[in-house]
Amino acid sequence: MLLVVVLPEVDTLLGPVMPGAHRTVGHTFVLPVAAGILLYYDTRVRGSSVLRERFEDRAVRVAWVALFVHLFAHVFMDWAHLDGVNALWPIHDRFFRLEGEILLSTADGFAQTFVDVGLDPETGERRIDAGGTGTTETVHVNNPIEPDSPENLVGREEIDRRFPIANRGWRLYLVLVGAFVVVARRFQGDPPAEPGK
Amino acid sequence: MAPTLVNAAFGALLAAALLGAAFDRRSVAIVVVATVLPDLDAVASLFLAGATNALFHNVWLPLVVGSFLYWDTALRGESRLRQRHGWYGVRVAWVALAAFVVAGVGPDLFGAAGANLLYPVHDAYYLVNGRLLYSTTDGTIQTFVEWGAEGPGILPLESPGTTGTHFVPSWVNPDPGTGTSLDAERELGLVGSGWQAIVVAAAASLLAIRFLEERRTGAESNSTFRQGEE
Repeated sequence: MLLVVVLPEVDTLLGPVMPGAHRTVGHTFVLPVAAGILLYYDTRVRGSSVLRERFEDRAVRVAWVALFVHLFAHVFMDWAHLDGVNALWPIHDRFFRLEGEILLSTADGFAQTFVDVGLDPETGERRIDAGGTGTTETVHVNNPIEPDSPENLVGREEIDRRFPIANRGWRLYLVLVGAFVVVARRFQGDPPAEPGK
Repeated sequence: MAPTLVNAAFGALLAAALLGAAFDRRSVAIVVVATVLPDLDAVASLFLAGATNALFHNVWLPLVVGSFLYWDTALRGESRLRQRHGWYGVRVAWVALAAFVVAGVGPDLFGAAGANLLYPVHDAYYLVNGRLLYSTTDGTIQTFVEWGAEGPGILPLESPGTTGTHFVPSWVNPDPGTGTSLDAERELGLVGSGWQAIVVAAAASLLAIRFLEERRTGAESNSTFRQGEE
C-alpha cells in the first residue's frame, strides 16, 4: 500500500523530458476514475472476473483499497498543496489548487471560499474559479529532481535539492498519526474465537 | 481551535483503522463522540477564564483514564469492563481514548491555536510548528522541537502564551473573558483549508463505504462480539 502512495511521484523523473510532467501524469483524476470503472466492470458487471480468477477474493479488496488510498492520500492531498494537480490531464491541461474554508458566521451565514462564483468585471459574464493555477506550460511544481523551473536552473553552480518531510505542524501530525496507527495495530490482540468472551 | 468537524473526521478515520472486529455503527459513534469531547472546554470557558483548549486539552485527563483502563483490563483479575461488555467493550474503550488524544487534542496541538498540555499544573499553551526536511546543501533541518524556546512554556515547544495572554476564540465564546453576549459575532469553522476538506471527504467516503459493506454482508459477525445487551 505504501508503494501505491509513492509510485505516482515517478512523474518527477519525466520532468526533464516532458515539461510540467510532475503533478500531471501521475496526479490526474482521469486515471483513477478509469481504473475504478475498469475494476467495477471486471468484478461486478461481467460474469467472471479476471482479477478474482487469477488471484483470489482478497485481491479485489486490495485493488479497491489501493484505489481509495491513491485518490485520497495522494492525489487529493496534493490538490491542496503548492500549485495543486493537473486534475483532468490529458483531457484538459489545467492545474487546479484546492484552497479555501467553510464556515458559519452570525454575520454572513454559510460561507465557503473554495469555489469562487462571480461576474467578470470586464465582460459581465458569469465565471467560476475553482482554483485554476495554470497549465503544464506555466506551472512547475518544484521537486528534488527539478528543484526549480528548468529555465531558472540553467547556469546555476550549486543546486540545492530539498526533500521535505514535514514543512508544517499539521504535516508532521499526519506522519505521526500514520505511525501511531501502525504501532497501535501491532499491540492489538485478536478478537476471541468464541464471540462474547 | 481546529474545526470540530475535522476532529470528528480524524476520529472516524482512526475508528476505521483501529476498531477491527468491533467496528459497527455504535462503536464508531462512541469513538467520534470521544473525539469531539475535548472541544467542550469552550463551554467551560464561559465560567472559567481561558478554559478553551486547556481544561480538556491537557495530558492529565487521558493519563488518568488510561491508567484506570489499564488497571481494570490488565492488572486486576476480573475486569469490570470485560465482564459487562466483553472484548468489544475493551476494544472500543481503548480506541475511544486514543481518538480523544490523537484526533481530539492532536489537531489543536499541531495547528494554529495550541493546546495547554500541562494545565492546570503549569499554565502555558504549546504548539508544534516548524519544518523537517533534508537539503543536499544544508543537511537535515528540524525546527519543531526547540530547547530553550522563548515564551512561558517549560516544554521544548513553541508557546503562544498562557490562559491569561492567549485567547482561543470559539463559536460558544468568541471574545476574551467569561460570560456570554447575545450580539457577539460568532464564527463556526467547518473546514479551515484545502487539506482539511480532503480529510473530511476521506472520512465521509470511508464511513459510507464501510457501512454499506456491513449492510451487504448482513452485519452477522460484528454484533456477536457485544455482550450484555438485551
